[in-house]
Order: sequence, then C-alpha cells, then structure tokens
Amino acid sequence: MSDFRTSQNEAHPNKTNTIMTGIILLQILFVSIQVWFLFGALNNALEGNIFFALTTFVGSLFMAIGSFWVLRYLPEPLKKKPDKRPRVNVSRQP
Amino acid sequence: MSKEDSEREPSWKSDFPIETRRGTHVSRREFAKFLGLLSGAFALSNGFIVIKAIAFPAEKLEGEHFVVDEAEVAIGEMFQFEIHGEKKIPYILIHLEENEWRAFEQKCTHLTCAVRYRKDENKIECPCHNGWFSADTGAVLQGPPPRPLPRLDVVVRDGKVYVKEQSEDQNV
Repeated sequence: MSDFRTSQNEAHPNKTNTIMTGIILLQILFVSIQVWFLFGALNNALEGNIFFALTTFVGSLFMAIGSFWVLRYLPEPLKKKPDKRPRVNVSRQP
Repeated sequence: MSKEDSEREPSWKSDFPIETRRGTHVSRREFAKFLGLLSGAFALSNGFIVIKAIAFPAEKLEGEHFVVDEAEVAIGEMFQFEIHGEKKIPYILIHLEENEWRAFEQKCTHLTCAVRYRKDENKIECPCHNGWFSADTGAVLQGPPPRPLPRLDVVVRDGKVYVKEQSEDQNV
C-alpha cells in the first residue's frame, strides 16, 4: 500500500539531496561571513574600537545559532531496505 | 593448513566489523554538523576578542622616557630604541626637520616586520610586503598594513629627547 510519504518521495526523488545541499550552502555562507567579522573585529579591537567587536560578536552569535538551527532539518540517512530476495549459496567448486 | 581454514573469514574481521571505506568516509550529514561546530567556534573567538578588549585594555606608557641626546641624531636620520615594560617594544625616532621629531612603533601593523625610515622618499617603509607609512603621521599610504603605526609624542628638553604617550587630542 502506498502512503503520503511514499508517493511524495516518488514525486520528488531529489528532495533529500536538495535539502542537504541547501543546508550546507547556508552554513558555508554563515561561516564565511563569520570569518569576515572575526578579521574585522581583530583589527578594530586593536585600534580600540570595542563597539565594532561587540556588534560583530552579536552578529556572529546569531549566525552560529542559525547554523545549529538548520541542522534540525538534516534529512535522515537513507536506510537500506532489507534484502528480501532468497539467498542462494553459490558453490565455488564446480 | 587445510584449504577450508584459508577461506574462512579471519577472526579480526568479525571483532572489528568496520570497513576501511566506511571508516574514512565523511558523509554530508557529518560535514554539515562539522560546519555547525566551526560556526560556533568562530562566534566564541569573536566573544573572546570582546572580553579581551574590555577586560585587558592596552596599557599606556607612563611618564617620559629618555631616548637619546638631540645632537646624536642628524636631520633626516632615524634612531632605533626600545622601551622595556611588561613587553619590550621597539620604536624608531625620526628627526624630520629642525625641531620636528616623530616616534613610531617599529613593528609593522601587518605582520610585525621591522619598519625603517627612508630619507630619499621621506616615508616609512616596511620591506617585507612593500608597505608604506607617512613619516609625518604614521598613516598607511600603500600596501597591506591595516592600521597606522602607533605613535608616541616627542619632547625635546635641554638637548635631550624624551618620548611619552600620545595625548588624546592628537590621537583623533
């Protein structure tokens, strides 16, 4: 019998792949912006501009929370269906 | 040894039933989780910078420090000196013109190479990555340095040259 999940999976066979790629691309975007923030904060803190370091920290924290949050939507790993075919032991010695 | 023994699976394989391919394979799920951790680490380091900047601000130089006699540094010449405090910081003293003195930290703000005054160009050069600073203000003129050179005030009294922390009004 076919249920909703099965029919949806059959209608969109690439769904898991698309979600996974989307999550990874989003995380790479977050991490890149964080690297940029960190570099800016280092230089500005050395110059005595603490406000910039504080602002980038808040932004970076939000991005880290976002990176963790998108992990909720990671697709479950594909489970192998049990092989129901009858197994035949092939003799190696003809 | 019989032939059956050689064909049987060795016992270590049943003890450690993880294939090499499975052990070294990084799935996309694992990669995404790693990116999440990396993101958290970046946020933490950014927080560390804030804490360090607030809790441990850079210490200011206290008082005046004698450097050299005025007569020892001719016009257009540079004199290297160090100030010993918590850390040993190298500085350069430049005699630009008559009664015009400048003192800057010698460490380039890019990768802390030693900078030097070029009399022919009337600029300060960092020879490592072709960075140039103004000899008048220490501002970056060209190259990779992200910040101007830290500057000290110079006081000449009774033929002796002293340096002290730059006053706030000149710092802007």
